[in-house]
Amino acid sequence: MVDDVLRLKLALLGSAFRPGATLARTLAVVVLGLAVGAAIILLALEVDVRLAGHRAGLVIVASALAIALAVAPLSAGLGSALEPRRFASFPIPPRTLARGLGAAGAVGLPGLLAAVLGIGLELAWAGTPTAPAAIVAGALGAAAVILVSQHLVAIGAQLAASPAARRLVTGVARAVIVLALAVAATTVIVVQSGAEDDTLQAIAATLAATPVGLVWAAPEGEPALLLVRLLGGAVMVGVLVVGWGWLVARLVEAPQRTRSSAPAHGLGWFDLVPATPAGVIAARSLLYWWRDARYRVVVLALPVVPALMMLAFGAAGAPLPPLWLVPLPVLALFLGWFVHNDAAYDHTALWLHVAAPVPGAADRWGRCVPPLLLGVPLVLALAPLFALWSGVEGVLPALIGVSIGLLLTGLGVSSVASAIGAYPAARPGAGPFDQPPMLGVRAGWAQATALLATILFMAPALVVAIGGFAQPAWFAVAGVAGAATGFGMLLLGIVIGGRAFRRRAPELLDLVLRT
Amino acid sequence: MVLEVRGLRKSFGGTVAVDDASFTVRRGSIFGFVGPNGAGKTTTLSIITGLLRPDAGQVVVGGTDVWREPTTAKRKLGVLPDRMRLFDRLTGAQMLYYAAVLHGLDRSAARSRIDDLAVALGLDGSLDRPVRDYSVGMVKKISLAAALIHSPSVLVLDEPFESVDPVSTAQAVDLLTRFAAAGGTVVLSSHNMDLVERVCDSVAVIVAGRVLAAGTLDEVRAGSSLEDRFVELAGGRVAVEGLEWLTTFSD
Repeated sequence: MVDDVLRLKLALLGSAFRPGATLARTLAVVVLGLAVGAAIILLALEVDVRLAGHRAGLVIVASALAIALAVAPLSAGLGSALEPRRFASFPIPPRTLARGLGAAGAVGLPGLLAAVLGIGLELAWAGTPTAPAAIVAGALGAAAVILVSQHLVAIGAQLAASPAARRLVTGVARAVIVLALAVAATTVIVVQSGAEDDTLQAIAATLAATPVGLVWAAPEGEPALLLVRLLGGAVMVGVLVVGWGWLVARLVEAPQRTRSSAPAHGLGWFDLVPATPAGVIAARSLLYWWRDARYRVVVLALPVVPALMMLAFGAAGAPLPPLWLVPLPVLALFLGWFVHNDAAYDHTALWLHVAAPVPGAADRWGRCVPPLLLGVPLVLALAPLFALWSGVEGVLPALIGVSIGLLLTGLGVSSVASAIGAYPAARPGAGPFDQPPMLGVRAGWAQATALLATILFMAPALVVAIGGFAQPAWFAVAGVAGAATGFGMLLLGIVIGGRAFRRRAPELLDLVLRT
Repeated sequence: MVLEVRGLRKSFGGTVAVDDASFTVRRGSIFGFVGPNGAGKTTTLSIITGLLRPDAGQVVVGGTDVWREPTTAKRKLGVLPDRMRLFDRLTGAQMLYYAAVLHGLDRSAARSRIDDLAVALGLDGSLDRPVRDYSVGMVKKISLAAALIHSPSVLVLDEPFESVDPVSTAQAVDLLTRFAAAGGTVVLSSHNMDLVERVCDSVAVIVAGRVLAAGTLDEVRAGSSLEDRFVELAGGRVAVEGLEWLTTFSD
């Protein structure tokens, strides 16, 4: 069976070289791939691991390339991708299929380059005491890249039910590859110029602490750290292997997701979410965040508020670098707090949720999805940068944990507030700055309470984070505490808010009817 | 009896909107709910469908108390409220899909029912346009489709035919008649006495929050036409006085 899948894969690869319209593209991709492969080997021979800057560069370049290779199969389009669903109609045991597809993933350009990347790591460390560890790390890294790419293809094929979604997946994958290659090239140039060692090392250290850079950084560690990283890499590969088996079994057994007949009516984002109440409410909510001026103005204001706060602090004479720690928590707090009156934003259209047997928690979850999708990636992407600019040692975990915590706690508080403390809101279709005619004191109370409650719940983590400036070890504690508070508060808020929403739904409807 | 309404009472501030309203609806019947403007039709129907909490009284749908076990009751109900918005940035198809999934339908069932309803109600060409671009009549039609999509056993429709063109009305009436013949139950309110007389087999007349007459169409009509009976129950025609200037034409 494994042989059959491999043979199929080889046949597919061979077909790409048949004369025709796609041949030119195939050749271009092959040339690019060979160039990347050659560059990896040359750089690996060139790099001098005795220099800290080179070591940091090695971790960054390897991580960037690993990301590029993991998404590479998606960039080719999913038309002839070997994904589990295609084999659903054959009587193949899922376990065998998982093995066959995993092996097939190693064959082909991305798989080959992943292997080259692993070999590159070994070459770079050859002749040093940690050379054996580098061999293990390289193998683990290559395996992880191949497995991740298999996961991504399977999931991508699920997401891409419509042609538009398919183009989106391919486009995002290509953008990621270009970005990753650009990062790798920039890093090589910076390393060669010999400047900015500190920055490079900080980035490399950050990457080494994440699954992305874990194994690539393994050979440079002290024996204990080295062992931990290799172990982490092994666990990561183990999880990916088990996850792959599970994913294949699930996909093969779940009902067909691609549309059988020509679509009569496109459902847009509704095609991309599960057909559950929470799913459709999330899609509808996203659509409103995207199109409704009342939401859009907030998205536009998001970067402005923290910038203004920084300016104000700066004008008051605070030193600049630590001020970089201000924007993200403020942005997260603001984003979580913003949805505290979300139910009233629906206006009387809320009746659809009241008249249907929608679980309260599903309503709450759906409404949390847009701020989560917006906030979490923003925090994760910007936190390392802002932590670096702040110049505060070891502040990154605290910045991420506290920001995520503020966002999630804010969403939890908002989930409850929008059910029990709703107040009149501008109607759908109103201008971004329109206010309802009778706002009342209630609005002020609800706004202030939601904001204060969020800060209060996060106060322990915030205090610990401030303690970190005196004793940097506290930063990590603050990060964990912040994230834990956030998760707890979000879950709690959704449960309590869901109950309250179910109970008070007619009153909410009454409120919007009277505005 | 698939729908039993007992002693409903609802007041807004000082005004009593519904005053001790009670009536029952048989399974498989099309029940017309008529009354003058502001008589409490919409309030009563909103209470029946679980959208508005009553001050007192009980609503039982298919053996389930709407206000005690709302989730179970709402599975049985299909609702078209009057003067409530839809999520009008969604397209017609998205709107119907939304309503279907909120009622627990899966993707393929929702899709095929959307197509069926679009044909049955003449929405076919408009499903890909946002609902906000629809005319009032089109909004009524899409709301009716949304009320029907989870195949409820009781349909509660508040003014379903207001601003709907005659062709679409005939189509919708056909659909409701078939629905009732198969054992479904329809409760609809309307100002159009001819239509109620033609479509409904049972009627209730509500005036100033009180149900003045309820029963089969023939019982309520009592020999005259529904319109005459309705005007009589509603307090008769008020003699028009003091509008003499209206007959002295200015030119």
